Amino acid sequence: MTVLIGTLTLTIIGGLCAALLNYATRYFKTNSEAIIELINTRLPQTQCAQCGYPGCRPYAEAISKGDPINKCPPGGTALIQELADLLGREQVPLDTSYGESLPPRVAVIREAECIGCTLCAIACPVDAIIGAPQMMHSVISRDCTGCDLCLEPCPVDCIDMIVVKTVEVRPLRLPRIDQDALDLIQYDCIHCGLCEPSCPRELAPQALFWHRTEPERLQSLNLADCIECRLCDRVCPSNIPLTASFQAAKQRQYELDQSRAKAREAQARFERRQRRVSRVQAKVRARPNKQDRLSMIDRLRNQKS
Amino acid sequence: MSDALVILLGTIFVNNFVMVQFLGLCPFMGASQKIDSAIGMAAATTFVLTLACAASYLLEHYLLQPLNLEYLRIITFIVLIAALVQFAEMVIRATQPLLYQVLGLFIPLITTNCAVLGVALLNVRHQHSLFQSIVYGFGAALGFSMVLIVFAAMRERQTSADIPKPFRGAAINMISAGLLSLAFMGFTGMNG
Repeated sequence: MTVLIGTLTLTIIGGLCAALLNYATRYFKTNSEAIIELINTRLPQTQCAQCGYPGCRPYAEAISKGDPINKCPPGGTALIQELADLLGREQVPLDTSYGESLPPRVAVIREAECIGCTLCAIACPVDAIIGAPQMMHSVISRDCTGCDLCLEPCPVDCIDMIVVKTVEVRPLRLPRIDQDALDLIQYDCIHCGLCEPSCPRELAPQALFWHRTEPERLQSLNLADCIECRLCDRVCPSNIPLTASFQAAKQRQYELDQSRAKAREAQARFERRQRRVSRVQAKVRARPNKQDRLSMIDRLRNQKS
Repeated sequence: MSDALVILLGTIFVNNFVMVQFLGLCPFMGASQKIDSAIGMAAATTFVLTLACAASYLLEHYLLQPLNLEYLRIITFIVLIAALVQFAEMVIRATQPLLYQVLGLFIPLITTNCAVLGVALLNVRHQHSLFQSIVYGFGAALGFSMVLIVFAAMRERQTSADIPKPFRGAAINMISAGLLSLAFMGFTGMNG
C-alpha cells in the first residue's frame, strides 16, 4: 500500500512539474535574434563565404547554434578571441581548412584585358564592381571587401588582389615595437608606480601598459588622452618603452575602428544587393515562360481569325 | 524579525555554504571566470534556491509528512529542483540571450548544485517554519552569490597579475579559494 501511495505521489508531482514547464515554454518565446545580431556585428562582413555559409549573417546564426568560432579566415585570431570573450567559449586556433588569414586586400581589374563579360560584377556580394556589358569594368576599391569571389568567374583572369596599405598614425617617429617584443618585456614592469605621477594628463601609464591589448579597458582608461610626451618612459626604472606601446595600441585601435566602419558599410551594401537580387528574381519568375507565351500568341491569332 | 536576521547573517557569513560547509563548489569554480557571468549565475542560483526552499517546505509539510512518505524526500526534492531550474533556464533564455550563451551548460548544472538540495534538506532537519525556510534559502543564496562574485573579481584581477608559471591556471584558483575560505573562518563562533 505504502509503495503504491509513494509511486502515485511521485508520478503526480512529476506530472504537475511537466505540465507547468510545458505551459512556461509556450509563454517564454526564445529570443535568439539579439544574440545573432551581436555576433554578426563582430564578423568582418566580407561576405566571402569561406566559412561555408552564404554570408556573414548565416554564419552568425550557425555560431549561435553552436558552430565552431574558428571558420572565418578574414577575421583571423582577433575575431576568434573576441567571439570567445563574447560567448564564453574556449579560444581555438583558426581552422586553416577554410583558408589562410591574409592581410586586408582589394581586387583590381587590369582594365586593358577586361572583355566586359559582367561575370565578376554578378559574383560580387557587395556590388563593388561597375561596368556595362561589352565595356571595361572597374572595382570601386573603397567598397571592395577583398573576398576573392570575383577571381573564379573571370574568363580572362584579369583581376589581381592587392594588399591594402594601412595608414599609420605615428606623429612621433619612435622605433616601431611589435607585440611579441612587448610580451617578452612585460615582466620587466615592477609595479613601482613611478610613471603615474609623471603623467601630465593624469593617466595611469602602468594600467595602460598592462591592458594594452584590451580595447574596451583602454577606452575606459582614456588612452586617447595620451599626448605621447614620453615623460613616463623617462622615469621608468625598467626602461620599458611605454610611449611606443601606447602608439602601437592607438594604431590597433585605429585599424579596428576602420575595419568596423568598413564592415558596417559592407553589410549594408550586401543587404541592399540581397534585396535587389530577390526583387529581380521575383520579376523573372512572374514573367510567363516560353510555352505560355506561344500559346498566348496562338490564342490571340485564333481570336483575330 | 531578529530571528530572521540571525539566520540571514548566519548563512551569509558564519555558515557560508561554499566557504565553510563546502557545498556548491562546482559552479563556484566553473562560473567564476568573468564577473558578468558570475553575477548572472548568482542571480539564477538565488532565484532557484529561494523558490526551492519555499516549495520543498510545502511539499514536506503538506504532502510527504501527512502521507508518511518521508523516505521519498530526496527524490521528490530533486524532481522539484530540476523543474525549477528548467523554469529558470527558460526565463534566462527568453530575457537574456547573451547570458544564456555565456552560462550555457552551467544553468542545467544548478540542478546538481549540492547547495540547493543541501539547503532544502537542512531546512527539514532544523525544523524551520515556512518563513524561516525562505530566509534560510535566501541567505544561503546571498552567501553563495557574494562568494562567487568576490572570487570572480579575484580571478579577473589575476589575469593581469604576474603569476609564477607553475601556479597559473587551476593551481592559483585553488590557492585563492583556500585563502578566501580561511578568511571566512574568521566569522566562526560569531553566533555560537
